[in-house]
Amino acid sequence: MNEIILMFHVLFGVGCIVTTVWLFVDVLHASEANLNRIRWLSRAAAAFMWLAFLIGGYWYVIFYAADKAIILKGPWPFAHRFFMETKEHLVIMLLLLVTYLPIAASNNLAANQEARRLVLWLTAVIALLGLMIEGHGAIIAMGVKVALLAGQH
Amino acid sequence: MEHTAVSKYTISFGLSLALSSVLNALLVVAKEKSQVVTAGMQKITGHQWVTHVAIILILFVLLGWLFARANHGQGPKLAVNRLTGIVVAGIVAGGLIITGFYWVAD
Repeated sequence: MNEIILMFHVLFGVGCIVTTVWLFVDVLHASEANLNRIRWLSRAAAAFMWLAFLIGGYWYVIFYAADKAIILKGPWPFAHRFFMETKEHLVIMLLLLVTYLPIAASNNLAANQEARRLVLWLTAVIALLGLMIEGHGAIIAMGVKVALLAGQH
Repeated sequence: MEHTAVSKYTISFGLSLALSSVLNALLVVAKEKSQVVTAGMQKITGHQWVTHVAIILILFVLLGWLFARANHGQGPKLAVNRLTGIVVAGIVAGGLIITGFYWVAD
């Protein structure tokens, strides 16, 4: 069951990244015709990220201590000491960014080039930070795997 | 004609986002450098990270709300391009402080 929780954490994180990339492209071509979709996409990106955060946060608080102990005894202790430590704090910035996104996207992006540029920057940063954090998660999972494999020999 | 005005909340919460990102990073450093801070945060919610998240989210909302009330309720007057620069700078600074801190610490 714990692994299923974790898979939903990753799934919603990927959902946020994909939605944000879609939003970036839509904002590049912002017009009166797609303004409504832009606003809904910004809310969807925020919802995906909040779900990923709440699920991941629950898993981290309740279950991560066991994984941490395994990682620290294995050959990749940096998977916790660097990657988990940075991930758990960078994700707070990501949460702030996606919460702010619908506020920025509520302006008339079709008529306001500066507001459009702001949302483009926000979506680019969210997508890049999201990808980086997904990568961190992969390294943390690998840290557990290599520790368990090392323990078998 | 091109519009350049944005809602006062775009400005106020943008500034709050930049500031909260940096404060988030500084709280990481304070927490890692001081056992007293970590223990205090642990005590509040039962988990230091949950307290950390709660502090930053409350700060974000509070600062955004306070900035929106500035200038007789009209919010701060700021060009949107300047706001974009401040938001990106805040995020980059916060990210670099956190990454740099753990890079050196590890």
